[in-house]
Amino acid sequence: MNGLAVARSSGMPGSGARARVPSFLIAAAVLVAAGFAVPLLVGSQLALTLMTQAVIYAILAVSIGFLIRQNGLASFGHAAFFGMAAYLMALNGRFGWMPAEAAVLAAVALPAAFAFLTGLIIVRLPALSFSMLTLAVAQSLHELMLRWRAVAGGDDGMAVRLPSRLFGVGIEVFQSPATMFVVCWGALVVVIALLTVVARSRFGVLTIAIRENEERTRYVGYRTLAPRALVFALSAAAAGLAGVLFSLYNAFVTPGILHWSLSGEALIMAVVGGAQAVWGPALGAMIFFIVKDAAGDLTEHWPAIIGTLLIAVTVLLPQGISGLLARVAAIAPRRKP
Amino acid sequence: MTGFALEGIELSRRYGGFAALDQVSLQLEPGEIRGLIGPNGAGKSTLMDALCGRGGPTGGRVTLAGRDISRLPAQVRRRAGLARSFQKTNVFPALGVREQVALAARAAETDNTDEVLDVLGLAELAGHRAADISYGDQRRLDLALALVGRPSVLLLDEPAAGLSIQESLVLARLLKELAGSWKVTVLLVEHDMEVIFSVSDRITVLNLGRVLAQGTGEEIRANAEVVRAYLGSSVE
Repeated sequence: MNGLAVARSSGMPGSGARARVPSFLIAAAVLVAAGFAVPLLVGSQLALTLMTQAVIYAILAVSIGFLIRQNGLASFGHAAFFGMAAYLMALNGRFGWMPAEAAVLAAVALPAAFAFLTGLIIVRLPALSFSMLTLAVAQSLHELMLRWRAVAGGDDGMAVRLPSRLFGVGIEVFQSPATMFVVCWGALVVVIALLTVVARSRFGVLTIAIRENEERTRYVGYRTLAPRALVFALSAAAAGLAGVLFSLYNAFVTPGILHWSLSGEALIMAVVGGAQAVWGPALGAMIFFIVKDAAGDLTEHWPAIIGTLLIAVTVLLPQGISGLLARVAAIAPRRKP
Repeated sequence: MTGFALEGIELSRRYGGFAALDQVSLQLEPGEIRGLIGPNGAGKSTLMDALCGRGGPTGGRVTLAGRDISRLPAQVRRRAGLARSFQKTNVFPALGVREQVALAARAAETDNTDEVLDVLGLAELAGHRAADISYGDQRRLDLALALVGRPSVLLLDEPAAGLSIQESLVLARLLKELAGSWKVTVLLVEHDMEVIFSVSDRITVLNLGRVLAQGTGEEIRANAEVVRAYLGSSVE
């Protein structure tokens, strides 16, 4: 068949799913260790509080980014999974359905199960319909918690009652900025590591294939619905974990954590950071918080600055800041002598 | 139980009042290359779709090596051994060449990825993204996705579209070799009459959703109705 091989274009090496787990685990371990150093280097409790919140939202942003990366779908209502998990922790504290440790696991599993079952219906819809339905689900939950005053405290929200120890660790560890930053940072690194392993796995390649060309994927022999629903579920589980960390740290939940504005902010983080890399949205979250903090000091109209940043990134860097970094990293070795 | 590799029995498909396919029956012998020709709108691609389970509801039945696959979804038909390529290049742009052929091989549970890449001259491009290779290479990649896993029946919808004359003839030779050595049965839709007449054991001619004629290349060339409806002087 060599006669057919004519006029081949030269191109970039493929984005093959080559597993590099050992080096990847080393990088994850180094990042976790780096997280331990931060509280030692940052003396300000306020700064640590802000950083801890940023890391929690980074996990939420990573969960949305994973959905965009693997399924090509943007959720406008990912706060539903975040809030669902946080409210489960709060409601369990109030009604004592199960031990707090079990509630943590349930708060991750419930959004995943909910997303998988709804995903079996909505991931097959056009992208815009999917986005609008996620928004509708999140807003429905928001309204439910807003109006369910007797149980969930309505607009006033509700405290998250926690036992004195959780998983054998004193609860103060989860509520002090210095220690909670390390916990959240570790959770972020683990979430990114796990989602990266999934993205590079055969399952990850399959879901990219479905994203690229669903019909062709069926004609090479795969079912396409369940894998997409499973990606949605994994994404929701990560968002649920962020919600659990939020409830542990703040010990208080309000309907605001189910509101579309939180989903929107997390989506902006994912877009700014870029969903091409699993870690991109985490970078976007850090940038978002830095810009928000700096802009908030300058003007009460800080959302306009965030909006300008979003427009600039969308127009100039369609792959986000992580995409720019990846391009620079790809070019750099070629310039070496 | 029939001895046919693939059989379509009275296949019909309607779009409103228009019969795109009207009671078409087709039997392919194991290892046969069957050419499928006809003017635009004759129902060739619709017949391909009906055989592989694509598109809307279809009347009639489809059997693969005697097994009724009429109600099976496309992915199950593929795993049962019925593969197809598409009229428009249909690959996975963001995936590597080898990566996507290996993906298809896993579904077929027969990993002959390297063999297929070699046979189709894609081995050198194995690490490239599909989006970065030429159109001709993408056409061969499309064929590789259908061919990997050694399906028993291959439905090829204009595989030579966009290829040069030389590439088309090499492709024709390759199909002939594969049908012989891999025992693959091929149903080939192609507008390049040189390709069709050089590789096909038999040819079916469709016109207005119906079978106009069937026979060997010589018989089709000699069929006055076929010449009038489709061939004209193109194979003189």
